Amino acid sequence: MSTVDASGEATARAARSRGPIPKSELAVAAVLGGLGVFALVDAHTINVPASASAVGPRAFPYAVGALLVLSAVGLVVALVRGDRGEVEGGEDVDTDGGADWASVLKLTGAFAALCVLVEPLGWLIAASVMFTGAAWTLGARPWWRALLVAVVLNTLVQVLFTQLLGVYLPAGPLEGVPFLG
Amino acid sequence: MGDLSALMAGFETALQPEYLLFAVVGVLLGTAVGVLPGIGPAMTLALLLPLTYSLEPTAAFIMFAGIYYGGMYGGSTTSILLNTPGESASIITALEGNKMAKAGRGAAALATAALGSFVAGTIATVALSLVAPTIADLAVQLGPPDFVALAVLAFLTVAAMLGSSPARGISSLALGLFISVIGTDSLTGQQRFTLGLPTLGDGIDIVIVAVGFFAVGEALHVASRLRRGPIPLVPISGRWFTKQDFKRSWKPWLRGTAIGFPIGTIPAGGAELGTFLSYATERKLSKHQEEFSHGAIEGVAGPEAANNASAAGVLVPLLTLGLPTGATAAIMLAAFQSYGIAPGPQLFSDEPDLVWALIASLYIGNVLLLVLNLPLVGVWVKVLRLPRPYLYAGILTFAALGVYAVGASVEDLVLLFILGGIGWAMRSFGFPVAPAIVGLILGPIAEEQLRRTLAISQGDPTALVTSPFAAVVYCLVVVAFIGSQWLKRRQARLDAAVFAVAQASTTPGGPTSPVGEGRPTVPSGKERRDAARTKNDETNDWDSGGQW
Amino acid sequence: MTIVVGYVPKPEGRAALVAALEEADLRGEPLHVLNTSKGDAYSDPGYASDEDLAEVTALLEESGVPYELEHRLGDQAGGAADILDAVERLSASLVVIGIRKRTPTGKLLFGSDAQTVLLQAPCQVLAVKA
Repeated sequence: MSTVDASGEATARAARSRGPIPKSELAVAAVLGGLGVFALVDAHTINVPASASAVGPRAFPYAVGALLVLSAVGLVVALVRGDRGEVEGGEDVDTDGGADWASVLKLTGAFAALCVLVEPLGWLIAASVMFTGAAWTLGARPWWRALLVAVVLNTLVQVLFTQLLGVYLPAGPLEGVPFLG
Repeated sequence: MGDLSALMAGFETALQPEYLLFAVVGVLLGTAVGVLPGIGPAMTLALLLPLTYSLEPTAAFIMFAGIYYGGMYGGSTTSILLNTPGESASIITALEGNKMAKAGRGAAALATAALGSFVAGTIATVALSLVAPTIADLAVQLGPPDFVALAVLAFLTVAAMLGSSPARGISSLALGLFISVIGTDSLTGQQRFTLGLPTLGDGIDIVIVAVGFFAVGEALHVASRLRRGPIPLVPISGRWFTKQDFKRSWKPWLRGTAIGFPIGTIPAGGAELGTFLSYATERKLSKHQEEFSHGAIEGVAGPEAANNASAAGVLVPLLTLGLPTGATAAIMLAAFQSYGIAPGPQLFSDEPDLVWALIASLYIGNVLLLVLNLPLVGVWVKVLRLPRPYLYAGILTFAALGVYAVGASVEDLVLLFILGGIGWAMRSFGFPVAPAIVGLILGPIAEEQLRRTLAISQGDPTALVTSPFAAVVYCLVVVAFIGSQWLKRRQARLDAAVFAVAQASTTPGGPTSPVGEGRPTVPSGKERRDAARTKNDETNDWDSGGQW
Repeated sequence: MTIVVGYVPKPEGRAALVAALEEADLRGEPLHVLNTSKGDAYSDPGYASDEDLAEVTALLEESGVPYELEHRLGDQAGGAADILDAVERLSASLVVIGIRKRTPTGKLLFGSDAQTVLLQAPCQVLAVKA
């Protein structure tokens, strides 16, 4: 066991310090640092009422801003020392290869449709559009079967939430339909 | 003894038919969602939280207890059947349990996991009932500086324990703290970091952040890197549970409980660590060393017990100190807050009915798990036939539903998606999500206690460390930080060893297909990730022997 | 010429395999056994496991008919498309499929691979009932 261990770690270690730092990783650190600077600057503009005690509303934001800047610096140091961000694995995630931006854009579109449609057309229709779009993006075929699943699921949701749980969901043009509106 | 009668009163509440029904629904929902790979207990809780909005607190928490245990348990079923852990704490179960299932002992693996979870859960809940009130009594005497110290302890240990490196954990924590500051300062009524946007004036609801980071973030992450191909299911076969199995299982159950419960109570990043330590222990003590990595029942019994025991242990600091030690606990705390209940030393004296009903429902939830899960295994297996496009579209739908149901606000939906984008970025760049959630929830508590401390001391910062309790805690911070790095290294080495053995023994057998690609022999994502984590490990002890 | 058979580890799949073996023996043509999965779920009961494949291989070896076994993850199109694709690729003379009783609702929701093959195959189709 120990031999397997040692040799495995030896190669792992060699691999990790090789290669330049990816620009995207530096960009993440820069965003983090930028957020910290914003926090420090914006904290300065927070009003401090005369009634405030020893520690007013500014102190904690200052501390958070400082922590953000420090963690950005720490991240850069870690990057220089060879630390690399690993894409989080998962059962459905292929960690080899880059991100598929087209799918993400389609998913964003589906979600945007929900945001735009939920008030005029109600939950059932808007959420069904979103579900169908998202399922289609992820590979569900044919689209009408996804739509069928979406409508059944969201009808159940609409009935369960508005009738049984007493939570408001807009019905849109279906207002007045028994169990839905 | 007052606590005992309080517990009995709790049982009286929780056993009312209506509440029992909520417990059953919670266990069923929690298990069903927990069985789905890729959905851990934290996401399960975040997604199902909206269901409890219209319930009164007692019913909501009884259901929550069921969801919590059900979600934990669901993972073990998945890992045994699919060799892919439904949640991170089940990875060891995945390794040994799946080997057992492949060797035709799947039924015994499921049985020892279920019985072990029950035994450990029950013992740990007894321990919780005994320990929690005592700690609460002691904690009543703690002052503001002591709570600041506890918050710092939780921040640092969570940030250090979770994620591949402390730098990434602390970055995530800082982001969570930043989000927690957005909104109106509760003490002076001043707007902070709101950019003048009225939506941000009230701050960002914790539920939106949790659902965005976990559910929407995960959906985007999967959409961007979808892996194709089914994971062939292992049939449940073999004899259920023999005397021999019991003989080999009961000691690991008890040892797993003894390891898991204390680890759950300390801020060590949740249940995962306990399962690894239990596995290492069983491996060392077993008389069947040769079976390890090939399906040793001890390797399922111990870690599963540890997993469930630490699930109960996590509730000790949560209920008595209001201190969440991981993402799941943080979301539980958010649920308490949404009912205007602040977990902490006063909880046991202010809300005894609620808290004891919750504890009683943990006992009941354990029994329900045992009674429901083994007979329903066939149903859970069917859940796995859900096509992935529908699964992730459903996750998005329920995420949006949960957020929209709170305030019927489109702005909240937009915010949810933006936060989901951040959650996706964090996953893509290897930042752990849990520290952000803990920072978000504990941040406002820490700030309030900090300001109270300094108001009392009239601005003298030494007041923060002069309380003896706080001083001890700060020493513990240092010890815990060093200790956590040591434990992580130990775990990483165990990962590496287990991974190496798992790889060596994954020799494809049976007939091979002449055309195209046969069955996938790729290790599960989690295994890969753990192997990757080992690579990230900074300082290795080169000359330490084979013991981890 | 080749005979293509769509195999699933279910009674109708086994019935199709047995019928296809007889047909191949009779016609003196090689057999192409196909088992694919869309691969969009965590588990697919139609995707043959190692044990199923061992059973199929044993059956095929025993018969002495020349055969090919295609076991893979298909594209998103699903079972019928994979079968039709193989028929075209191998210019098959016959395609054998297993059928079972379906409810109209079930057919609407999940579609019917058998129906698609029956309607669209460019060659003879032998439908075997389990």
